[in-house]
Amino acid sequence: MNELDDQLRVLIPRLRRFALSLTRNPSNADDLVQACLERALSKWNDRRPEGDLRAWLFSILYRQFLDAHRRSRRYARMLEFFTGRDDSQPSAERSVIAQSSLQAFDQLTTEQRALLLWVSVEGLSYQQVADILDVPTGTVMSRLSRARQALRQLSEGEITRPALRRLK
Amino acid sequence: MISMPPSDNDLHAYIDRQLSEADQRLVDTYLANHPEIAAKVRAWQQDTQRLRTALGGMLQQPANPALDPATIRQRLKHRSRRYLASAAVLLLAVSMGGLGGWHAREMTLLSTAAPMADAMQAYRLFAQQGILPADYQTGDEHSMQDWLDRYFNQINRLPDLSGAGFKPVSGRLLSTEQGAAAMVVYQDPGGQKISFYVRPPGPRNFLLPRGSRRDGELQAEYWSGPGYNYAMVIPSDLPAAQKLRQTLDF
Repeated sequence: MNELDDQLRVLIPRLRRFALSLTRNPSNADDLVQACLERALSKWNDRRPEGDLRAWLFSILYRQFLDAHRRSRRYARMLEFFTGRDDSQPSAERSVIAQSSLQAFDQLTTEQRALLLWVSVEGLSYQQVADILDVPTGTVMSRLSRARQALRQLSEGEITRPALRRLK
Repeated sequence: MISMPPSDNDLHAYIDRQLSEADQRLVDTYLANHPEIAAKVRAWQQDTQRLRTALGGMLQQPANPALDPATIRQRLKHRSRRYLASAAVLLLAVSMGGLGGWHAREMTLLSTAAPMADAMQAYRLFAQQGILPADYQTGDEHSMQDWLDRYFNQINRLPDLSGAGFKPVSGRLLSTEQGAAAMVVYQDPGGQKISFYVRPPGPRNFLLPRGSRRDGELQAEYWSGPGYNYAMVIPSDLPAAQKLRQTLDF
Protein backbone atom coordinates (compact mmCIF):
# COMPACT_ATOMS: atom_id res chain seq x y z
CA MET A 1 0.00 0.00 0.00
CA ASN A 2 2.67 2.48 1.01
CA GLU A 3 4.76 1.81 -2.03
CA LEU A 4 1.71 2.39 -4.18
CA ASP A 5 0.87 5.61 -2.37
CA ASP A 6 4.40 6.79 -3.00
CA GLN A 7 4.01 6.11 -6.71
CA LEU A 8 0.84 8.18 -6.70
CA ARG A 9 2.31 10.97 -4.59
CA VAL A 10 5.05 11.60 -7.13
CA LEU A 11 2.46 12.08 -9.85
CA ILE A 12 0.14 14.42 -7.96
CA PRO A 13 1.85 17.67 -9.07
CA ARG A 14 1.46 16.51 -12.68
CA LEU A 15 -2.16 15.65 -12.20
CA ARG A 16 -2.78 19.02 -10.61
CA ARG A 17 -1.10 20.76 -13.51
CA PHE A 18 -3.16 18.85 -16.03
CA ALA A 19 -6.36 19.54 -14.09
CA LEU A 20 -5.46 23.22 -13.87
CA SER A 21 -4.90 23.45 -17.61
CA LEU A 22 -8.36 21.96 -18.13
CA THR A 23 -10.38 23.83 -15.48
CA ARG A 24 -8.26 27.02 -15.26
CA ASN A 25 -9.26 27.30 -11.62
CA PRO A 26 -7.05 26.00 -8.78
CA SER A 27 -9.79 24.82 -6.44
CA ASN A 28 -11.81 23.15 -9.18
CA ALA A 29 -8.59 21.57 -10.37
CA ASP A 30 -7.89 20.08 -6.95
CA ASP A 31 -11.45 18.76 -6.72
CA LEU A 32 -10.93 17.10 -10.04
CA VAL A 33 -7.64 15.55 -8.91
CA GLN A 34 -9.31 14.31 -5.75
CA ALA A 35 -12.14 12.70 -7.71
CA CYS A 36 -9.59 11.18 -10.05
CA LEU A 37 -7.54 9.68 -7.22
CA GLU A 38 -10.67 8.31 -5.54
CA ARG A 39 -11.65 6.62 -8.74
CA ALA A 40 -8.15 5.33 -9.37
CA LEU A 41 -7.87 3.84 -5.88
CA SER A 42 -11.25 2.17 -6.06
CA LYS A 43 -10.63 0.80 -9.56
CA TRP A 44 -7.02 -0.12 -8.91
CA ASN A 45 -7.53 -3.76 -9.87
CA ASP A 46 -8.86 -2.87 -13.31
CA ARG A 47 -5.56 -1.31 -14.21
CA ARG A 48 -3.34 -3.07 -16.70
CA PRO A 49 -0.27 -3.80 -14.58
CA GLU A 50 2.14 -3.27 -17.47
CA GLY A 51 0.51 0.02 -18.47
CA ASP A 52 1.92 3.44 -17.65
CA LEU A 53 0.43 4.70 -14.38
CA ARG A 54 0.65 8.35 -15.41
CA ALA A 55 -1.20 7.78 -18.69
CA TRP A 56 -3.87 5.79 -16.88
CA LEU A 57 -4.44 8.58 -14.33
CA PHE A 58 -4.52 11.21 -17.07
CA SER A 59 -7.20 9.27 -18.84
CA ILE A 60 -9.35 8.97 -15.70
CA LEU A 61 -8.98 12.64 -14.94
CA TYR A 62 -9.72 13.70 -18.51
CA ARG A 63 -12.88 11.62 -18.66
CA GLN A 64 -14.10 12.98 -15.33
CA PHE A 65 -13.49 16.51 -16.50
CA LEU A 66 -15.51 15.94 -19.66
CA ASP A 67 -18.37 14.42 -17.65
CA ALA A 68 -18.40 17.24 -15.12
CA HIS A 69 -18.20 19.80 -17.87
CA ARG A 70 -21.18 18.28 -19.64
CA ARG A 71 -23.14 18.23 -16.39
CA SER A 72 -22.37 21.82 -15.55
CA ARG A 73 -23.37 22.94 -19.04
CA ARG A 74 -26.71 21.21 -18.60
CA TYR A 75 -27.03 22.81 -15.18
CA ALA A 76 -26.27 26.25 -16.56
CA ARG A 77 -28.98 25.84 -19.18
CA MET A 78 -31.47 24.87 -16.52
CA LEU A 79 -30.57 27.93 -14.46
CA GLU A 80 -31.02 30.11 -17.46
CA PHE A 81 -34.46 28.63 -17.88
CA PHE A 82 -35.37 29.38 -14.28
CA THR A 83 -33.93 32.83 -13.95
CA GLY A 84 -33.98 34.02 -17.53
CA ARG A 85 -30.31 34.82 -17.62
CA ASP A 86 -27.05 33.13 -18.30
CA ASP A 87 -24.66 32.68 -15.40
CA SER A 88 -22.38 30.27 -17.11
CA GLN A 89 -19.87 32.88 -18.20
CA PRO A 90 -17.01 32.67 -15.73
CA SER A 91 -15.50 35.88 -14.50
CA ALA A 92 -12.10 37.06 -15.61
CA GLU A 93 -10.43 36.20 -12.34
CA ARG A 94 -11.22 32.54 -12.84
CA SER A 95 -8.73 32.37 -15.61
CA VAL A 96 -5.46 31.78 -13.81
CA ILE A 97 -3.67 30.90 -16.98
CA ALA A 98 -4.48 34.27 -18.46
CA GLN A 99 -1.98 35.83 -16.08
CA SER A 100 0.92 33.82 -17.43
CA SER A 101 2.28 33.78 -20.93
CA LEU A 102 -0.22 31.17 -21.97
CA GLN A 103 -3.01 33.20 -23.48
CA ALA A 104 -2.79 31.39 -26.78
CA PHE A 105 -2.80 27.98 -25.14
CA ASP A 106 -5.78 29.03 -23.07
CA GLN A 107 -7.83 29.69 -26.19
CA LEU A 108 -7.42 26.21 -27.63
CA THR A 109 -10.18 23.65 -27.28
CA THR A 110 -10.15 21.29 -24.31
CA GLU A 111 -8.89 18.42 -26.38
CA GLN A 112 -6.17 20.48 -28.01
CA ARG A 113 -4.91 21.63 -24.61
CA ALA A 114 -4.90 18.05 -23.35
CA LEU A 115 -3.10 16.82 -26.47
CA LEU A 116 -0.35 19.42 -26.30
CA LEU A 117 0.16 18.86 -22.60
CA TRP A 118 0.36 15.10 -22.99
CA VAL A 119 2.65 15.09 -26.01
CA SER A 120 4.71 18.27 -25.83
CA VAL A 121 4.99 18.71 -22.08
CA GLU A 122 4.59 15.26 -20.54
CA GLY A 123 6.19 13.44 -23.46
CA LEU A 124 3.60 10.66 -23.78
CA SER A 125 3.87 8.58 -26.94
CA TYR A 126 1.28 8.86 -29.72
CA GLN A 127 0.21 5.32 -28.85
CA GLN A 128 -0.46 6.24 -25.21
CA VAL A 129 -2.48 9.27 -26.25
CA ALA A 130 -4.39 7.13 -28.76
CA ASP A 131 -5.26 4.74 -25.94
CA ILE A 132 -6.49 7.57 -23.71
CA LEU A 133 -8.69 9.09 -26.40
CA ASP A 134 -9.63 5.71 -27.82
CA VAL A 135 -8.80 6.70 -31.40
CA PRO A 136 -6.18 5.42 -33.91
CA THR A 137 -2.67 6.94 -33.73
CA GLY A 138 -3.22 8.50 -37.16
CA THR A 139 -6.07 10.51 -35.70
CA VAL A 140 -3.89 11.60 -32.79
CA MET A 141 -1.29 12.85 -35.27
CA SER A 142 -3.72 14.84 -37.37
CA ARG A 143 -5.36 16.38 -34.30
CA LEU A 144 -1.98 17.23 -32.86
CA SER A 145 -0.99 18.83 -36.12
CA ARG A 146 -4.15 20.94 -36.04
CA ALA A 147 -3.54 21.88 -32.39
CA ARG A 148 0.00 23.06 -33.14
CA GLN A 149 -1.19 25.09 -36.09
CA ALA A 150 -3.93 26.66 -33.99
CA LEU A 151 -1.45 27.50 -31.24
CA ARG A 152 0.90 29.04 -33.80
CA GLN A 153 -1.83 31.19 -35.31
CA LEU A 154 -3.08 32.33 -31.92
CA SER A 155 0.45 33.17 -30.79
CA GLU A 156 0.97 35.28 -33.90
CA GLY A 157 -2.41 36.95 -33.44
CA GLU A 158 -1.46 37.84 -29.91
CA ILE A 159 1.50 39.90 -30.97
CA THR A 160 -0.50 41.99 -33.41
CA ARG A 161 -3.73 42.49 -31.44
CA PRO A 162 -3.41 41.68 -27.76
CA ALA A 163 -6.41 43.80 -26.80
CA LEU A 164 -8.87 41.53 -28.51
CA ARG A 165 -8.29 38.55 -26.30
CA ARG A 166 -11.51 36.97 -25.19
CA LEU A 167 -11.72 35.89 -21.56
CA LYS A 168 -13.53 32.64 -21.19
CA MET B 1 10.48 4.40 -43.12
CA ILE B 2 8.79 7.68 -44.00
CA SER B 3 8.62 8.95 -47.58
CA MET B 4 10.12 12.23 -48.80
CA PRO B 5 9.14 15.02 -48.70
CA PRO B 6 7.94 14.48 -45.12
CA SER B 7 4.24 15.12 -44.46
CA ASP B 8 3.10 17.51 -41.73
CA ASN B 9 2.41 14.51 -39.52
CA ASP B 10 5.98 13.33 -40.04
CA LEU B 11 7.27 16.76 -39.07
CA HIS B 12 5.27 16.71 -35.85
CA ALA B 13 6.49 13.21 -35.08
CA TYR B 14 10.00 14.57 -35.72
CA ILE B 15 9.46 17.37 -33.19
CA ASP B 16 8.10 14.89 -30.67
CA ARG B 17 11.00 12.48 -31.30
CA GLN B 18 8.59 9.72 -32.18
CA LEU B 19 10.35 8.75 -35.43
CA SER B 20 12.89 6.00 -35.70
CA GLU B 21 16.51 7.19 -35.56
CA ALA B 22 16.94 6.65 -39.28
CA ASP B 23 13.82 8.71 -40.07
CA GLN B 24 14.88 11.38 -37.61
CA ARG B 25 18.18 11.74 -39.50
CA LEU B 26 16.38 11.75 -42.83
CA VAL B 27 14.25 14.70 -41.73
CA ASP B 28 17.37 16.47 -40.39
CA THR B 29 18.92 16.27 -43.83
CA TYR B 30 15.73 17.35 -45.53
CA LEU B 31 15.35 20.38 -43.28
CA ALA B 32 18.95 21.41 -43.87
CA ASN B 33 18.08 21.78 -47.55
CA HIS B 34 14.65 23.35 -47.17
CA PRO B 35 14.99 26.50 -45.08
CA GLU B 36 11.31 27.54 -45.35
CA ILE B 37 10.09 24.19 -43.97
CA ALA B 38 12.85 24.34 -41.35
CA ALA B 39 11.55 27.75 -40.22
CA LYS B 40 8.05 26.32 -39.81
CA VAL B 41 9.37 23.42 -37.77
CA ARG B 42 11.46 25.77 -35.65
CA ALA B 43 8.41 27.90 -34.84
CA TRP B 44 6.54 24.81 -33.67
CA GLN B 45 9.54 23.78 -31.61
CA GLN B 46 9.68 27.20 -30.02
CA ASP B 47 5.97 27.07 -29.18
CA THR B 48 6.55 23.69 -27.59
CA GLN B 49 9.47 24.98 -25.58
CA ARG B 50 7.55 28.02 -24.43
CA LEU B 51 4.63 25.85 -23.37
CA ARG B 52 6.93 23.58 -21.38
CA THR B 53 8.45 26.54 -19.56
CA ALA B 54 5.12 28.17 -18.82
CA LEU B 55 3.45 24.97 -17.64
CA GLY B 56 6.55 24.04 -15.68
CA GLY B 57 5.65 26.69 -13.13
CA MET B 58 2.39 24.92 -12.40
CA LEU B 59 4.26 22.00 -10.88
CA GLN B 60 5.36 24.20 -8.01
CA GLN B 61 2.02 24.54 -6.22
CA PRO B 62 2.02 24.18 -2.43
CA ALA B 63 0.94 20.67 -1.42
CA ASN B 64 -2.74 20.06 -0.72
CA PRO B 65 -3.11 17.55 2.15
CA ALA B 66 -6.62 16.61 0.95
CA LEU B 67 -5.03 15.04 -2.10
CA ASP B 68 -2.74 12.70 -0.23
CA PRO B 69 -3.44 9.08 -1.22
CA ALA B 70 -3.57 7.98 2.44
CA THR B 71 -6.27 10.58 3.19
CA ILE B 72 -8.26 9.57 0.13
CA ARG B 73 -7.99 5.89 1.00
CA GLN B 74 -9.33 6.67 4.47
CA ARG B 75 -12.28 8.53 3.01
CA LEU B 76 -13.10 5.69 0.63
CA LYS B 77 -13.08 3.22 3.51
CA HIS B 78 -15.59 5.32 5.47
CA ARG B 79 -17.82 5.51 2.47
CA SER B 80 -17.81 1.78 1.78
CA ARG B 81 -18.56 1.07 5.43
CA ARG B 82 -21.65 3.24 5.19
CA TYR B 83 -22.60 1.38 2.03
CA LEU B 84 -22.11 -2.00 3.71
CA ALA B 85 -24.30 -0.93 6.59
CA SER B 86 -27.20 -0.11 4.29
CA ALA B 87 -26.58 -3.33 2.35
CA ALA B 88 -26.91 -5.27 5.61
CA VAL B 89 -30.28 -3.67 6.35
CA LEU B 90 -31.40 -4.55 2.85
CA LEU B 91 -30.36 -8.16 3.33
CA LEU B 92 -32.28 -8.29 6.59
CA ALA B 93 -35.31 -6.81 4.86
CA VAL B 94 -35.20 -9.37 2.08
CA SER B 95 -34.77 -12.32 4.44
CA MET B 96 -37.79 -11.22 6.48
CA GLY B 97 -39.64 -11.85 3.24
CA GLY B 98 -43.02 -10.90 1.91
CA LEU B 99 -44.61 -7.53 1.81
CA GLY B 100 -42.98 -6.48 5.05
CA GLY B 101 -39.57 -7.04 3.51
CA TRP B 102 -40.47 -5.09 0.44
CA HIS B 103 -41.74 -2.24 2.52
CA ALA B 104 -38.58 -2.30 4.61
CA ARG B 105 -36.56 -2.15 1.44
CA GLU B 106 -38.32 0.99 0.44
CA MET B 107 -37.62 2.47 3.84
CA THR B 108 -33.97 1.60 3.40
CA LEU B 109 -33.83 3.31 0.06
CA LEU B 110 -35.33 6.41 1.55
CA SER B 111 -33.02 6.43 4.50
CA THR B 112 -29.85 5.77 2.51
CA ALA B 113 -30.45 9.23 1.22
CA ALA B 114 -29.68 10.59 4.68
CA PRO B 115 -31.92 13.49 5.68
CA MET B 116 -31.15 16.62 3.74
CA ALA B 117 -28.01 15.14 2.19
CA ASP B 118 -28.71 17.42 -0.74
CA ALA B 119 -28.53 20.45 1.55
CA MET B 120 -25.03 19.45 2.65
CA GLN B 121 -24.04 18.69 -0.90
CA ALA B 122 -25.23 22.11 -1.99
CA TYR B 123 -23.32 23.76 0.83
CA ARG B 124 -20.11 22.00 -0.18
CA LEU B 125 -20.54 22.89 -3.82
CA PHE B 126 -21.58 26.47 -3.55
CA ALA B 127 -20.63 27.88 -0.17
CA GLN B 128 -17.32 26.11 0.32
CA GLN B 129 -16.01 25.62 -3.16
CA GLY B 130 -17.78 28.45 -4.93
CA ILE B 131 -17.95 26.46 -8.14
CA LEU B 132 -20.74 28.49 -9.66
CA PRO B 133 -21.64 32.13 -9.10
CA ALA B 134 -24.76 33.01 -7.13
CA ASP B 135 -28.11 33.59 -8.85
CA TYR B 136 -28.91 36.42 -6.54
CA GLN B 137 -26.75 38.63 -4.35
CA THR B 138 -27.76 41.19 -1.80
CA GLY B 139 -26.76 42.68 1.49
CA ASP B 140 -30.27 42.90 2.75
CA GLU B 141 -32.70 40.46 4.27
CA HIS B 142 -35.91 41.85 2.75
CA SER B 143 -34.86 41.64 -0.84
CA MET B 144 -33.59 38.11 -0.25
CA GLN B 145 -36.98 37.17 1.12
CA ASP B 146 -38.65 38.72 -1.95
CA TRP B 147 -36.36 36.73 -4.18
CA LEU B 148 -37.29 33.47 -2.42
CA ASP B 149 -40.99 34.31 -2.50
CA ARG B 150 -40.78 34.64 -6.26
CA TYR B 151 -40.05 30.93 -6.54
CA PHE B 152 -41.73 29.39 -3.51
CA ASN B 153 -45.27 29.95 -2.27
CA GLN B 154 -45.79 30.02 1.48
CA ILE B 155 -42.15 29.55 2.35
CA ASN B 156 -41.01 30.14 5.95
CA ARG B 157 -39.58 33.53 6.72
CA LEU B 158 -35.81 33.48 6.45
CA PRO B 159 -34.39 33.00 9.93
CA ASP B 160 -32.96 36.15 11.44
CA LEU B 161 -29.44 35.25 12.44
CA SER B 162 -28.13 38.76 12.90
CA GLY B 163 -27.85 38.02 16.64
CA ALA B 164 -25.01 35.67 15.82
CA GLY B 165 -23.61 38.13 13.29
CA PHE B 166 -24.82 36.36 10.15
CA LYS B 167 -26.54 38.11 7.24
CA PRO B 168 -27.94 36.60 4.02
CA VAL B 169 -25.61 37.44 1.14
CA SER B 170 -26.41 35.21 -1.81
CA GLY B 171 -29.02 32.83 -3.11
CA ARG B 172 -28.97 29.98 -5.54
CA LEU B 173 -31.67 27.90 -7.20
CA LEU B 174 -31.16 24.16 -7.44
CA SER B 175 -33.02 21.18 -8.73
CA THR B 176 -33.79 18.07 -6.71
CA GLU B 177 -35.79 14.98 -7.49
CA GLN B 178 -38.67 16.55 -5.61
CA GLY B 179 -38.62 19.81 -7.52
CA ALA B 180 -36.96 23.20 -7.36
CA ALA B 181 -34.95 23.97 -4.25
CA ALA B 182 -33.06 27.02 -3.07
CA MET B 183 -30.13 27.77 -0.87
CA VAL B 184 -29.42 31.07 0.84
CA VAL B 185 -25.90 31.63 2.09
CA TYR B 186 -25.40 33.69 5.23
CA GLN B 187 -22.07 35.20 6.03
CA ASP B 188 -20.60 36.84 9.10
CA PRO B 189 -18.01 39.65 9.08
CA GLY B 190 -15.28 37.03 9.53
CA GLY B 191 -16.28 35.38 6.23
CA GLN B 192 -17.77 32.27 7.87
CA LYS B 193 -20.63 30.83 5.86
CA ILE B 194 -23.75 28.92 6.79
CA SER B 195 -26.68 28.05 4.60
CA PHE B 196 -30.44 27.92 4.72
CA TYR B 197 -31.87 25.31 2.40
CA VAL B 198 -35.42 24.72 1.30
CA ARG B 199 -37.03 22.12 -0.91
CA PRO B 200 -40.45 20.57 -1.50
CA PRO B 201 -41.11 17.20 0.16
CA GLY B 202 -42.09 15.60 -3.16
CA PRO B 203 -45.21 13.67 -4.16
CA ARG B 204 -44.73 11.22 -1.28
CA ASN B 205 -44.96 14.13 1.09
CA PHE B 206 -41.86 12.93 2.82
CA LEU B 207 -41.73 15.32 5.75
CA LEU B 208 -39.03 15.26 8.37
CA PRO B 209 -39.17 15.22 12.14
CA ARG B 210 -37.04 17.94 13.67
CA GLY B 211 -33.52 16.64 13.88
CA SER B 212 -29.88 17.20 13.29
CA ARG B 213 -27.17 15.22 11.64
CA ARG B 214 -23.44 15.50 11.32
CA ASP B 215 -21.58 14.58 8.17
CA GLY B 216 -17.83 15.15 8.21
CA GLU B 217 -17.15 18.77 9.01
CA LEU B 218 -20.77 19.87 8.58
CA GLN B 219 -23.79 19.83 10.81
CA ALA B 220 -27.32 20.00 9.40
CA GLU B 221 -30.32 21.05 11.46
CA TYR B 222 -33.47 20.05 9.65
CA TRP B 223 -37.20 20.34 10.06
CA SER B 224 -40.37 20.59 8.00
CA GLY B 225 -42.80 23.45 7.72
CA PRO B 226 -46.08 23.57 5.78
CA GLY B 227 -45.24 22.35 2.31
CA TYR B 228 -41.46 22.38 2.54
CA ASN B 229 -38.46 20.70 4.11
CA TYR B 230 -35.81 22.97 5.55
CA ALA B 231 -32.22 22.61 6.62
CA MET B 232 -29.62 24.86 8.09
CA VAL B 233 -26.08 23.74 7.31
CA ILE B 234 -23.37 24.91 9.68
CA PRO B 235 -19.67 23.99 9.82
CA SER B 236 -19.41 22.02 13.07
CA ASP B 237 -16.26 23.80 14.20
CA LEU B 238 -17.89 27.21 13.95
CA PRO B 239 -17.55 29.08 17.28
CA ALA B 240 -21.08 30.46 16.91
CA ALA B 241 -22.61 27.04 16.13
CA GLN B 242 -24.20 26.62 19.56
CA LYS B 243 -25.70 30.08 19.51
CA LEU B 244 -27.07 29.54 16.01
CA ARG B 245 -28.81 26.33 16.96
CA GLN B 246 -30.55 28.15 19.77
CA THR B 247 -31.66 30.89 17.42
CA LEU B 248 -33.44 28.39 15.18
CA ASP B 249 -36.49 28.04 17.35
CA PHE B 250 -39.29 28.02 14.88
